[in-house]
Amino acid sequence: MNLDSRRLVFLIMFVSVGVIFGIRLFYMQVVDDKWIERAGEVAKRKVDVKPPRGILYDRNGQKVVSNKTYYNLMFVEDNIEDLDTNAFSELIGISKDSIRKRFEAIRKSLDRKTKSKYTGNDTIVNDYRSYLPYAFLTELSADEVAQIAVDLPNFKGFYEEPMSMRNYPFPYGANIFGYLNEIRPHELNADRYFYSVGDFIGRSGLERYYEHELRGQKGVHMILTSARGRAVDNFADGKLDTNALQGPPLHLGLDIDIQGYGEKLMQNKLGAIVAIEPSSGEILALVSAPNYDPNLMVGARNIRKNYMKLYEDSLRPFFPRPLAAEYPPGSILKTVQALIGLQEGVIDEETGFPCNKALVGCHNHPNAQNVSQAIQFSCNPYFYYEVKRIIQQGKKESIFKDAAVGLELWEDYMNSFGLGVKPETDIYGLRGGVIPNVEFYNRWYGENRWAFSTIRSNSIGQGEVKLTPLQMANLAAIMANKGYYYEPHFVKSIGESGPLDRFTKKKYTKVDREHFDCVLEGMRKVVNEAGGTARRARIHDIVVAGKTGTSQNPHGEDHSVFMAFAPYDKPKIAIAVFVENAGFGGTWAAPIASLMIEKYLRGHISEESKRKEKRILEGDLIHER
Amino acid sequence: MSDRSLTKKEQWDWWTTLIVALLVIMGVTNLYSAAYNPDRPFLFDFGTLYGKQIMWIGVGTFMGVIAALIDADYIRKLTPIAFGVVIFLLIAVLFTKPINGARSWLGVGPFGIQPSEFSKLTTSLMIAFLIAQGRSKQVSRKTVIFVIGLVLVTMSLILLQNDTGTFLVFTAFFFVMYREGITFDPIILFVFNNLLGFRLKRTWVGVHFIPVLFVVIFFSIITLYFTESVHRFSFLPGFDVPGWALLIAILTIIFVLAVVLVRNFISQRVRRRFISIAMIVYFVSIGFVGTISYAYLNVLQSHQKVRIDLWLGKIEDKDGKDYNRNRALAAVGSGGFSGAGYQEALLASPRSQHVPESETDFIFSVYAEEWGFMGSLLLVTLFTILLIRLVVIAERQKSRFARVYAYAVMMIIFYHFAINVGMNIGIIPVIGIPLPFFSYGGSSMMSFLMMMFILLKLDSQRKEVL
Repeated sequence: MNLDSRRLVFLIMFVSVGVIFGIRLFYMQVVDDKWIERAGEVAKRKVDVKPPRGILYDRNGQKVVSNKTYYNLMFVEDNIEDLDTNAFSELIGISKDSIRKRFEAIRKSLDRKTKSKYTGNDTIVNDYRSYLPYAFLTELSADEVAQIAVDLPNFKGFYEEPMSMRNYPFPYGANIFGYLNEIRPHELNADRYFYSVGDFIGRSGLERYYEHELRGQKGVHMILTSARGRAVDNFADGKLDTNALQGPPLHLGLDIDIQGYGEKLMQNKLGAIVAIEPSSGEILALVSAPNYDPNLMVGARNIRKNYMKLYEDSLRPFFPRPLAAEYPPGSILKTVQALIGLQEGVIDEETGFPCNKALVGCHNHPNAQNVSQAIQFSCNPYFYYEVKRIIQQGKKESIFKDAAVGLELWEDYMNSFGLGVKPETDIYGLRGGVIPNVEFYNRWYGENRWAFSTIRSNSIGQGEVKLTPLQMANLAAIMANKGYYYEPHFVKSIGESGPLDRFTKKKYTKVDREHFDCVLEGMRKVVNEAGGTARRARIHDIVVAGKTGTSQNPHGEDHSVFMAFAPYDKPKIAIAVFVENAGFGGTWAAPIASLMIEKYLRGHISEESKRKEKRILEGDLIHER
Repeated sequence: MSDRSLTKKEQWDWWTTLIVALLVIMGVTNLYSAAYNPDRPFLFDFGTLYGKQIMWIGVGTFMGVIAALIDADYIRKLTPIAFGVVIFLLIAVLFTKPINGARSWLGVGPFGIQPSEFSKLTTSLMIAFLIAQGRSKQVSRKTVIFVIGLVLVTMSLILLQNDTGTFLVFTAFFFVMYREGITFDPIILFVFNNLLGFRLKRTWVGVHFIPVLFVVIFFSIITLYFTESVHRFSFLPGFDVPGWALLIAILTIIFVLAVVLVRNFISQRVRRRFISIAMIVYFVSIGFVGTISYAYLNVLQSHQKVRIDLWLGKIEDKDGKDYNRNRALAAVGSGGFSGAGYQEALLASPRSQHVPESETDFIFSVYAEEWGFMGSLLLVTLFTILLIRLVVIAERQKSRFARVYAYAVMMIIFYHFAINVGMNIGIIPVIGIPLPFFSYGGSSMMSFLMMMFILLKLDSQRKEVL
């Protein structure tokens, strides 16, 4: 064979290898998508970007809950180059020893218990990675960061990272807004899509109720990571990224000015103020006393510092009194009793009862000749007679069975006033108060073993009946509206979406509108006429209608209660004030309510009311006793 | 030889020079991306890999130009000395400290050299020198034994360094011997005639032993790769075609096509001979594919199959040494049609460092990811053209020394190209050898450049020597 033709073997070999490589490359690079997926798996990492939370505005457009930028001092261990601990310690104001301990603590905090796949024993796995960033110091304020920012570039591997935290321009409304704190494991497990370890979540108040809205939409950024997991660059120039979207602002019905004023009035007192706009059900103010500055509960550093202190305070500042404290309403319930009697036809507007002090104690006043006088004088015996007629209508032979029928009827009426049922207000921690019913007394006394005489204290708002301050304020709103109410609520609008549907439905009581006039007339007289029990609630040029109450307290001084609305002709505010251990309703609750009303309607306190204001502000019902 | 006649007769091959220059430029450009250091972006910064590589190119070109100034005959005469020096270095290197398990570096710090890289050049020259000594066309048996012996000695020295890649490259010289008519037939004949009692004068297999071996290995790998796979075709609904059946079908189609083509276009005399050879090749191939498939599917134990599959890259050993190749494959595959763009590689970039050794053994993955299929095809085409050009150059030599040397250079470049790219695209197991003109490495770059310069010099004087 001619050796020269062997060149063909070589040519065939080279060309066929070239062709095979070409085909293989075409298959890998153009046809098969497997490798692109593989590349993604290898080099792509998702990084969640959480937006700042939605802002809360009050009814006048003032920012009441906003965000403030804080900074974390981050480090990546791999990037730290010969750290000069002396200089670093000086810079951040922490001893060298603490710096070392801090590094150890961070590493240790990422220990995770797990069961070994092979031995089945509990082992500890450490998730710390030297190429990932961790926070060395957290929640530094802009001022704190400014002090270290200049020198920080000298310390390789350390950098500051901004973060958003809550800020409260007004130190009020802590009980309404609630606070945020670190997510708990079960919450994390419930929504792994959005949350990650260390996130803050609404823990109470509106922050919790509107968590889903306020948190916004998280963005996802695709990061190109190095083989060691370090973020290198954007993946695919950010084409796959989605942007974080801040939650919509919440527009509240709250008026931060009167909220703050109410908190000031309630300083050194225990109790609650709730003010509602009757024409909408919007809550204008919801004061829980004692209260605390919401800024005390911003961020993990503050919470660590302040939470236990507030939690262990014997006056329980965390307890949402307006929503959850159930008090005997005292005489303010008489308004409802009168309305039920009128609707049932067991009395009419002109029905009078003698002030028979043998029946139940009363103060000195003329006999009530009609319903409005009964309200004006707050006559206890009158309402014993009146409520007895409601409960014992004689529909059954046995007075026990008759009482049961009557009480059932009464309960229905009460429920229609929002009493004894949990409000649907947009906040957690609500309670429904107590409207004792047939079942309640059967359990207590046994079936057919009680009648009106057993339960008569309820007639004047003592006994077993209990309301929360929110319900009392809503009662005032019902009075102002003459028979209906809107579910009391905080949020007028989420973003620009307008009023929420469930808060725009009128809820009617079972008492017709025409029966309200005489009761309202009585409430007007309570404040404005001689013999009324709340003359301290009178405001110059504004007609206030109200009803005092004294809630008997077996444990100490009685509680002072007052509910009111104003102006009488065209009510703009309905309010309930409850001051614990303050005695008669007219003494403390009524003037506080009047100041709130004046502040809301006028925007300031008139000269005539200054003395009243001074007395309230200086009054200390906690420490002087 | 007068100066005048020298200039007249010298014919420098500018086409080959151009292709090599293009490859070198592409190589540096690619290395600049693969080893990019944002702190030192200057291309000629000798503290960076690309700066160093340019320095090596400079040194290699300088040495190549010096070699090119020497007369071809002197080059031939200097060959034994150069070979001896490199053998000495290969022995010396065995007494150094191993780096990464291999004793291949000689010298101080970053300026060490790898004698094994230069041994490719000197061994090529030495083989050419030895074969060219004989006067007759037939190489004497003594020369054959001497040549084979020399190659084996060099190979064992390299094996002692633990450098399997270069060791493998030395088998390229057997192809060179094949071209020169050195056959392995005596061995085959010895087996057949003395041990089995045949009376053969020569066998086809023995004569073409090297390409046959190549084809056999190639077929074995292809068969092992495909035999267990299952293929579905839209025109055969409901049928799962096993890989071995697919291979036999492909072989049959090729055979039929070849026969039809030959019948219609080739003369009667050649046709008859071709068809009988083609029939033999066809049935042998089928038998071979069948045997390998059967052995793989039925004879091998599962752990043996796993080892083969791992070697072929059919299954992944994610944590083991396949890690490197998997990352390289992902980089190549994600290049797409037009690539990620220069310095835009995600996986193979120096920023992310997902592909280990992306400056040396896996540099093709950087290129393929950044330039995509178009770029990869250009590279493969350039190398193929270079190889074909080298065949042309080799065959036009009148001097046997030059021809043998040209074949040696050609086969060494082919081995490097085929193994390196093959490994980067997942059809050859991981064997660490550089891609000529692309991979970072002073010794290999200088060695390849000098190989080319000497070849072009010899070629330029092809008309002088008889």
